[in-house]
Amino acid sequence: MNENRRQILEMLSAGQINADEAERLITAVEQPAPPTNGSSASAQGKAKYLRVVVDSEENGRDHGPVKVNVRVPMQLLRAGVKLAGLIPAQARDQVNAAMREHGMAFDLSQIKPENLEELVDQLNDLSVDVDVDDADKAKNKVKVKVFCE
Amino acid sequence: MIPLFAIIRIRSKRGRGFQLWVPLFLLWLVLLPFVVLLAPLILLVCLVGQVNPFRAVSVVCQILAGLTNTHIEVDDPNNSIMIRVF
Repeated sequence: MNENRRQILEMLSAGQINADEAERLITAVEQPAPPTNGSSASAQGKAKYLRVVVDSEENGRDHGPVKVNVRVPMQLLRAGVKLAGLIPAQARDQVNAAMREHGMAFDLSQIKPENLEELVDQLNDLSVDVDVDDADKAKNKVKVKVFCE
Repeated sequence: MIPLFAIIRIRSKRGRGFQLWVPLFLLWLVLLPFVVLLAPLILLVCLVGQVNPFRAVSVVCQILAGLTNTHIEVDDPNNSIMIRVF
């Protein structure tokens, strides 16, 4: 018998609480502790796959639905991030410059192995929903969903 | 573990289509002698690029292993394409 339960039973025997209250307290102390990290993915374990689902109700050319379903293992993403660390310094500068030109001010050298796990773990909580309604073609609707599972 | 098989399925809505099983393990076996032959060149490139060759090989192996369980499926009104690696 654990210490909490013993205390509750002592309170019951001393008449400090009635049987119903004792039952509620015992049920409360027997429940598993909630996860300290608030993320649902952490509670369910690490995500294994990055999913990209595209659902287009109408294709302008062929007048029919287009569906794309991609499942990428997170392990591949981890390896891909590590690959960025292998880019030689000269090439990295060129890549950074090209990314800046396209509006992505991101330094590849900042991707370090110690930040890698944290970076990939943050993807666990990623969920992107995009609904596109084409104003010109009223029937052309596209739904894009990016999430981890 | 590196992927051993891939399935490529292409179907046409008109009824034609095929499914291809690709034995990747045979591909790895065929490529292995070439990798051994090219090892000095790979080492040289790594040294010129100031990259740790062991780390480079490790990352390539991890990428190959990461391909396992990749699934890509595209359906359009006329065709359906599915690629699965396992």
